[in-house]
Amino acid sequence: METTGYSDGTTHGNVGEGPLGPMERFSYDDAITRKFVLATVLWGVVAMLAGVIIALQLAFPAMNLGFEWTSFGRLRPLHTNAAIFAFAGNAIFAAVYYSTQRLCKARMWSDRLSNLHFWGWQLIIVCAAVTLPLGITQGKEYAELEWPVDLLIAVVWLGFFGTNFFMTLKNRRERHMYVALWFYIATILTVTLLHVFNSLSLPLALVEIVQNGRVPSGTDWLKSWSVYAGVQDAMMQWWYGHNAVAFFLTTPFLGLMYYYLPKAAGRPVYSYRLSIVHFWSLVFIYIWAGPHHLHYTAVPQWASTLGMIFSIMLWMPSWGGMINGLLTLRGAWHKVAGDPVLKFFVWGITFYGMATFEGPMLSIKSVNSLSHYTDWTIAHVHSGALGWNGLMTFGMIYWLTPRLFQTQIWSRKLVAVHFYTATIGLVLYVLAIYAAGITQGLMWRAFDESGALQYPNFVETVVSILPMYHIRVLGGLLFLTGTIVGAVNVLMTWRARPPVYEVPVEEAPALSSTYVDPPPPPSSLSANTEFGRSVDSKYLQGWFHAIWERKALKFSVMTLIAVIIASLFELVPTFMIRSNVPTIASVQPYTPLELYGRDIYIAEGCYNCHSQMIRPIFAEVKRYGEYSKPGEFVYDHPFQWGSRRIGPDLAREGGRQSLDWHVRHLEDPRMVPQSIMPAYAHLLEQDIDFAAIQGRVRAMAMLGVPYGEAVKDGAAEAMARAQAAALGAQLVAQGGYEGMETKKVIALVAYLERLGKDLTAPPTAAEETP
Amino acid sequence: MNPEHAPLRKHEFDGICEYDNPTPGWWHALFIVSIIFSFFYYVYYEGNRDAATIWSQLDAAQTEETKRIFGAMGELQPDAATLVMLMGDEKMMKVGAGMYQSACAACHAKDGGGINGVNLTDNHYKNAASIEDLFRVITEGAGSGAMPSWRNNYSQNERVLLAAFVASLRGTTPSSPRQAEGEVIPSWPTGGK
Repeated sequence: METTGYSDGTTHGNVGEGPLGPMERFSYDDAITRKFVLATVLWGVVAMLAGVIIALQLAFPAMNLGFEWTSFGRLRPLHTNAAIFAFAGNAIFAAVYYSTQRLCKARMWSDRLSNLHFWGWQLIIVCAAVTLPLGITQGKEYAELEWPVDLLIAVVWLGFFGTNFFMTLKNRRERHMYVALWFYIATILTVTLLHVFNSLSLPLALVEIVQNGRVPSGTDWLKSWSVYAGVQDAMMQWWYGHNAVAFFLTTPFLGLMYYYLPKAAGRPVYSYRLSIVHFWSLVFIYIWAGPHHLHYTAVPQWASTLGMIFSIMLWMPSWGGMINGLLTLRGAWHKVAGDPVLKFFVWGITFYGMATFEGPMLSIKSVNSLSHYTDWTIAHVHSGALGWNGLMTFGMIYWLTPRLFQTQIWSRKLVAVHFYTATIGLVLYVLAIYAAGITQGLMWRAFDESGALQYPNFVETVVSILPMYHIRVLGGLLFLTGTIVGAVNVLMTWRARPPVYEVPVEEAPALSSTYVDPPPPPSSLSANTEFGRSVDSKYLQGWFHAIWERKALKFSVMTLIAVIIASLFELVPTFMIRSNVPTIASVQPYTPLELYGRDIYIAEGCYNCHSQMIRPIFAEVKRYGEYSKPGEFVYDHPFQWGSRRIGPDLAREGGRQSLDWHVRHLEDPRMVPQSIMPAYAHLLEQDIDFAAIQGRVRAMAMLGVPYGEAVKDGAAEAMARAQAAALGAQLVAQGGYEGMETKKVIALVAYLERLGKDLTAPPTAAEETP
Repeated sequence: MNPEHAPLRKHEFDGICEYDNPTPGWWHALFIVSIIFSFFYYVYYEGNRDAATIWSQLDAAQTEETKRIFGAMGELQPDAATLVMLMGDEKMMKVGAGMYQSACAACHAKDGGGINGVNLTDNHYKNAASIEDLFRVITEGAGSGAMPSWRNNYSQNERVLLAAFVASLRGTTPSSPRQAEGEVIPSWPTGGK
């Protein structure tokens, strides 16, 4: 590093640190990093392949293949989970394991925990890959995995990864924690918090065994429901969803940037002070912004407005990271032209800057009223996920590969090929989907000169963006191609590895137990009070923070406090909101059959394309009916408001179609010409498991849904059979299929026919079923 | 500031050094401005409930629309005279067409030719014997719910308008008509009260 001297005039090295402990010899565990790098590459290909497949399904519905396991509703969660938790997750772990050891001058605390972490995480991914296509899901976006997998995630994340990381931190030989470590600390603690509280759920198996004395059948072993309902569940979910972006896709990648960028560029980080200010403002402000995913929905407006303004305040803290990254390259831009690693980093950071400008913009309510439910959001997350997470990951992998495998990269030319295919694919994808989002958003709200909706048929607004969907497939294919090229390059480099890896022995003194913090520097203020000078020397000059950086436990606690304050501020009132949600007397629990049908709706992933939340916007009320009220969702465990309208909103679907229409439409959605919905013909063949309904009703009753008589032995099942028989007969009377009264389709249609009807039902009406 | 002369922090971490550069002034300024702006923005949104909220905009838009479409007509009666009068009003039929597209086209097809709902363009009617019956069927439904009731979805004026539009489909030529169902009924009465 070129330098002319340090701020205090001393020479190179960590001098002035007081007494040193005894000199110790140790080595770093790079085998674990190698594993995570290879896993990242493998899952990267899988995640992006899944992305291309579901992009093809939207462009060409035949690509749903007609199997229940391969429909868009089931594969879309597979794609998002693979991209976030498998691809980005393994990349985070590779980054953390390599850099933490070096920044702490210590080997990971336990090789066994490292390996348990690695294999445990891969097991979680395999569980996801098996359960999601089978329709085993909690029905909450990015938190779809069922309770046994959720438990496994908690154990692997905190028990293996967290323990190993914090014990390494405790045993470090470098007294100061570098900024990358701050971001890792925030990541591990906050993700634990988010995951645990959002995933709280009641397993069906528990109810069946304890209350019914019955062993659940088949996949019902894995079934559970969120303990939260409606508005409350929505607030929890987007507290989680938004901060998964913050603490899974942002903070660990900023940590990654702070280690690998200066390493690759051979330049000092631009500003230590900026690191401090943007780290704390980021972790504190990010948590508040969650409700901006719920603008104009049935959540309390103060929460939504709070989410909006904190999103605006988040702009500069986010850009602090971008500035520190890009300005670190000052004086090294000539290197960027020749170094593909730096090219990946520069583009990654640039996309971070664009996405974190766009985020606050989309959080402004009036912008959001256009963008929400459209592809604009999809474009935004892909510029973040492919641009920021993807390109940063690849940059890191190309920097690590020759070092980990102790040989030259197999082909430098292919690295360049990867860079260009990835960036061109990314730009194609993102631009096409921006155009699609804005086009569809404008079409939804367009009125003709007579004052009627200009595009009253939803499918017209879908057909108009299909060309953009074709371009998206092309962009996605290019990005996937780049990823495959990268995977081949890494594998070929791995094949050229030496027979035995060299493991250098490191040497560093242990931390001394007699260390005393240095006193605060003298204040530079002359004409001021004693108090002013003390504030200046302790706080304004950053002395207090240097102390924190030497105390891992204190630093971690302060980070935890920063994220908990905001969480409490928004969530405690949310828990009380349950009583504040204006109740609607006519809103009754779903009948046992409808409840079973709702589980089918969740299992098929209908929420991936259909919202159930009409906003109080004129065009929307014209299209779908009266806007949704908070009191309508009090029995919805979990809420199914959705976040994207690939198909129309279903909040007031009840009563709009005949039973016959629904059954035929589910069998073959092409009865709506040009519809891109997958077919659900299997629901006309599969039988309802009537015996499994009693447990479902009892589970809901345990969660506080007033089911009354229906919880009694056999009552729910009898009610469900009666309603199914009645609907089956009505279906035949409408000229529909015979024999549907035992099929899953009748339960799903019963649920769909119920949606949104309670609002206008007479308040005294009792449930129709006996 | 020339990076070659910026002060370096005295620490290095695995070879990584940090400059002690101050935070950029514009960054600081924008951060502070965004915080101040946010405060006022919150007050604007939360302290201004009655003036510009999305709900009052919605109310205004709905009132305005009812006034614009039905204006001086007052409450429309579902009688033959009114329906025939509406059928002759080109502007009203455009509004009716829009409602038809969002509510009816899924079963009766965009052009009225019918999908699993009946063909509305021929002279055969399954549940109606007169033009007034169209309003009744829209309001109450028919065929064990094969035709749903729209009472809760649309106001009386809107249902009258919808009935008039459906009546106007008779005699048009759809692209792929469903076979005729029900009885042939007399032609609609003609205009002129």
